Amino acid sequence: MSSHREAPAISKDPVADNTDTYAFVSPDDPDTVTIIANYLPLEAPFGGPNFFEFGDDVRYEVHIDNDTDGKAEITYEFVFTTEVRNPNTFLYNTGPIDSISSPNWNRRQFYSVTRVEGSKRTVLGSHLACPPCNIGPASTPSYEALAAQAVHQIGAGHTVFAGQRLEGFYVDLGAVFDLGDLRPFQNLHIASMAAAPGVNATNDFSVHSIALKVPKIELTPNGMTPTDPMSKRAVIGVWAAASRRRSLIRGTGNGNTFEAGDWVQVSRLGNPLFNEVIVPLGDKDRWNALPAAEDAQFLKYVEHPELAGLLPVLYPGVFPNLAGLTAARADLVAVLLTGIPAGIVPGFQNFTGKRYADQLRLNMAIPPASDPKPLGLIGGDAAGFPNGRRVFDDVVTVELRAIAGATYPLVNKSYTPDAAASLITDGLGPNSTRYLPNFPYLGTPVSGYDTKPLAA
Amino acid sequence: MSALTRRGFVKKSAVAAAGMTAVGTIVAEQADADAVAGAEPVVAYVSNPKKGEISVMAGDREVTVRDRKLAASIVRAGR
Repeated sequence: MSSHREAPAISKDPVADNTDTYAFVSPDDPDTVTIIANYLPLEAPFGGPNFFEFGDDVRYEVHIDNDTDGKAEITYEFVFTTEVRNPNTFLYNTGPIDSISSPNWNRRQFYSVTRVEGSKRTVLGSHLACPPCNIGPASTPSYEALAAQAVHQIGAGHTVFAGQRLEGFYVDLGAVFDLGDLRPFQNLHIASMAAAPGVNATNDFSVHSIALKVPKIELTPNGMTPTDPMSKRAVIGVWAAASRRRSLIRGTGNGNTFEAGDWVQVSRLGNPLFNEVIVPLGDKDRWNALPAAEDAQFLKYVEHPELAGLLPVLYPGVFPNLAGLTAARADLVAVLLTGIPAGIVPGFQNFTGKRYADQLRLNMAIPPASDPKPLGLIGGDAAGFPNGRRVFDDVVTVELRAIAGATYPLVNKSYTPDAAASLITDGLGPNSTRYLPNFPYLGTPVSGYDTKPLAA
Repeated sequence: MSALTRRGFVKKSAVAAAGMTAVGTIVAEQADADAVAGAEPVVAYVSNPKKGEISVMAGDREVTVRDRKLAASIVRAGR
């Protein structure tokens, strides 16, 4: 998936598993940028009685690099605390939850937001309430209104939400992991089956999202709103992460745990699918533990992605030009590790220098699109991926096509991509799920009651 | 060769003894180093500061060491 269960260690630690990161100029508030970091992959909405929540023992982080050194100049930290009203019941709620302060809600979660710049730490908000999970019509009636109560205005013009959301990332996992037999093209696959529409494997699943809307002036190094897309000050690098304390001691016979020590990064994510598809199994856990600024050591995997070698094998005769492409993939390096320099796409750049780092690179001077294209930049829409990432961007198709060679002519005009490179897809689009037009943009989660896991 | 006087004997013996002590210390430290060479990390924490109890964990074993001075020193370092 984008980065759901993408590495052996983090697949066993879902509350710290950073599944997706988004960064885009807010379409309804273009003087701001919205950054969303998702965790807890594949939440089945009916998963009670202990419904999903953030980890009190995890520090969630959003990092921003605004001077092209690959390191964070600004970090937002999110730390959660769970409060139980009544420990003498097994119930998550003892009646309808009609507000986030409802006494019927038994297990509530609160959090603080701290902005870190160098040694300066500023608490922007504390004891901010999360919404409950969407249980069902008897427990969480009017869920949208309930969740809206958990949108908080905090310090320095920031807006924040942390809680359950409908999964916005759509992908045909069943096909991708079945030796890449993408259903719309599986008649051409080595296993040769009849072509079929894609199936969204994340349908109705939820995630836990941290959404933060930040004034642009809080993100630029000079405190100005960027207006020139060709200025390097217009570009920020964004990635998210999760850290845990170094040590955990389990109490004997009391169910208690004690944690201490410095924070150790256990998960991170900038570009979708980076650790999932680019980094090989033996390096995935290490990649999650390293800062983005040390990604030069993974350059070889970007320059020679394994999937580019597999496509011609899995689809015999379909990718002959890709099969012959043995040069280092400078196009993928630009998209994933450095940003796209000026002069490649007219009127656009999101270059952050030669320091290799997996970051979403957002040119904040590009205004939101009036007619957004899910294929983003390769679809002619410079406001979309890989200029940051919007919630609805079809990143699976974009990255499949890029790896298949569709973007290589940007750095080598003598290369002719295979015809299939601009057609390949897993057969899904933004209508595979639902979104909101306003903050926090990801859709309302489906309730446990309304989820039908065996439905066709 | 000078005659061995009692004073000289005592002086030489003291130097030799000091040297042997130093050598012995080095040998002991080397032996300690050899003993832990290649060992897995050992985790220790002060489980009961008042009693000076330190829990030491290695592999699937845990032992409790009682050392008030060391426990107090560790607690101070953690503050």
